[in-house]
Amino acid sequence: MNDPRKTIVVTGVGVVSPYGIGLDYLQAGVLSGKCCLAPTKDVYPGFEGTTAQVCGLTRPANGASSRYSRSDRLAMEAAQDAVANLDCKSVAFRESGVGVFMASTVAGLSEIDPEIADDPAGWYRRGGLSRAATYPAARVADAVGEHLGIQGPRCAVSAACASSAMAIALAANMLLDGAAPMMLAGGSDALCPFTLSGFSSLQALDPEPCRPFDQNRKGLNLGEGAAVLVLETLAGAADRHADVLAVLRGWAMTNDAFHTTAPQQQGNGLRDCMRLAMEMAEVSGDEIGYVNAHGTGTPLNDIAETSAYETVFHGRKRPIPVSSTKSYFGHCLGAAGALEAAITITAVRCGALLPTLRLTDPIESPGVNWLRGGVRREALPLAMSVSAGFGGSNTALIFGDERLGASA
Amino acid sequence: MTVNLAAITGIGSVSPYGPLTGLIPPRLLEPESITAWTTAGLRRAFVVKPFRHASVVPGLKTRRLDRLSAWALVASSLAIQDSGIDLRELDRSRVAVVFGTGFGCAELTEAFYRSALVNGWSGTDPSPFPEGLANAPASHVALWHRLRGPNITVGSKSFAGQTALIQAASLLLHGQADLAIVLAGDTLTRAVYEWYEAAGLLSPACYNSEPLPEGAGFVPSEGVAAVVLEPVGRRPARIEARTYAHFSSGRWAAGGQPVETVRQMLGDSVPSLIICAGDGRPCASSSTTALAREIGGPSAAITAAQPVAAGLPDSSALLHLILALSDRALSNQPLSSQPDGGRALLLGTSGDSGFAALLLDLP
Repeated sequence: MNDPRKTIVVTGVGVVSPYGIGLDYLQAGVLSGKCCLAPTKDVYPGFEGTTAQVCGLTRPANGASSRYSRSDRLAMEAAQDAVANLDCKSVAFRESGVGVFMASTVAGLSEIDPEIADDPAGWYRRGGLSRAATYPAARVADAVGEHLGIQGPRCAVSAACASSAMAIALAANMLLDGAAPMMLAGGSDALCPFTLSGFSSLQALDPEPCRPFDQNRKGLNLGEGAAVLVLETLAGAADRHADVLAVLRGWAMTNDAFHTTAPQQQGNGLRDCMRLAMEMAEVSGDEIGYVNAHGTGTPLNDIAETSAYETVFHGRKRPIPVSSTKSYFGHCLGAAGALEAAITITAVRCGALLPTLRLTDPIESPGVNWLRGGVRREALPLAMSVSAGFGGSNTALIFGDERLGASA
Repeated sequence: MTVNLAAITGIGSVSPYGPLTGLIPPRLLEPESITAWTTAGLRRAFVVKPFRHASVVPGLKTRRLDRLSAWALVASSLAIQDSGIDLRELDRSRVAVVFGTGFGCAELTEAFYRSALVNGWSGTDPSPFPEGLANAPASHVALWHRLRGPNITVGSKSFAGQTALIQAASLLLHGQADLAIVLAGDTLTRAVYEWYEAAGLLSPACYNSEPLPEGAGFVPSEGVAAVVLEPVGRRPARIEARTYAHFSSGRWAAGGQPVETVRQMLGDSVPSLIICAGDGRPCASSSTTALAREIGGPSAAITAAQPVAAGLPDSSALLHLILALSDRALSNQPLSSQPDGGRALLLGTSGDSGFAALLLDLP
């Protein structure tokens, strides 16, 4: 941990969320406990329910609109916000080999009409050709790279709702490999009929604002957004005198190998994932001050996740403080892990333990301190962000406050 | 000086050559007429002939799966079988799955759109939705083999296969897994084929039954290739393990100076063999071949991109590698007799200056 060439730090965070464009809006929103979830009707074909949308996204320049999907544009805005303190127009920056590791589950699905299934060639002739080109998830990474004019490795990861946390973990691996001097890592997903219909068909949506970890929870709400972290080694950050926002102390990825959509009910995969991340960070359960949970609000996820917390933090002196910030602006799918990483970094930097909104009757779990009510202020040297997704993927990220000696 | 990080000890594939364990016996394949959907006139491609998955992997149930998931299951099973690994003897929480794909489960994604077209967005069929996610193939591989390590699906324009191999090697290097099943592939659907066509990317050979001409464009293909990747040096090598190739290092970028970057990666050595993981363009005019000539100089043997693999524009790397290893095995000329031993470079290019280069040692 003491080798600055092997210590991964966060030196920039960019966010587009239903609170607005920029990290400041996200921070102000979550710290004030504002909920962005709202009734949604006549916006997406065939959908009536609760979502959290991003407003005020800049339209691309004339002629470029069809080249970029909404997920691309969310990602480009977030990346721009993340590099605000960098001279990203300089030749030195552009030629330095900065890499991009983005995640998306929606990518260009938002741009495609159902007619493609019936007559693809006809739909392409009617203007769908360039829109269909935004379909691969890799396109989101290319959009960020093209937007910033950077030429390092570009990659996208798809691991359902664990995608962008995984992008951050894999980008950290790449920095350790020396594959790039700096990585922009995160995720982006737009709301669209495809995913709203998909989750609705699975009966996974709560028509009202979701209630993660509540005994009366009924499902999730979908949101949209993007978040991008600037990751580099501590040595690299020191060389350019960059401010360190947080230290990425540990990361891990596992799979449940249990079911396509359902989590393993004892949360064994998530349990192993948290343990591996803590092992990498060389910290005990007592040292983790807060867990930003996956907490979707679906009956199965929240039970499995609770079980995992009970096991991992068994023997702690005090119950582990846990909350789900999906109660603020829904589940942003491929962007969720990165947005929640941004929130976890905010929690660490502000010393703020964020509550789960609308949590009135929590799942009984003696080892967990379900945060609810107002924001609790206390020094927070280490916090963990946990993500899981369809296909059994799990990712855990541990962030530390460098000012509190978390890099030591 | 380069260090071998990982060894490829098993190969499996589902490709237009069929489902195969190990190397692919070289034989010339011609594109076939597409019959899976109605076309206006002749349309050809390299297609995977339908086969009963359970006849290759006993007990395998694939009825509701995208073909990409089904092929990933078959290819991974064949690669594991080829490696001689008994998964029962391994800690399966230490086995990773890394899958590279361009389009993911396009077949079921289209099925979900079709369901929306027929029933409206409020009446879609739930079954294709989770199975259409890009990570479904990798998660099915984990589920079937009960592999609880990292499960990663990556995409990268033109370099999904190379990226998968690099990420898997990185997991092994950092001790985040003890073994990795690496896969890459795509399926050919009507929407994908017609997108290539509308974008003007296809070869004239798609429209007539003449031999493949040296012209612009490619003939679309499909399939999934899989390799078993084991770490070198961190644990005792399996005595019985056959090694097809050692992976030493890899670099890829969307731009910059490919020649300088690759030479830096090579150090003092010069590859004896450069395997072009091409983009479908003919060998003579391919930017990959030009880059290979510049890097390898006059002494390096350069294998042209093979049409069957080149028809997978984003996910061809593993199939290219397997075909090159197969050709080499048939020619029975060990590279190790050449001046720089058996050093090989798997090289691909994209766009103006994007490239991916993987350095391999061939035993």
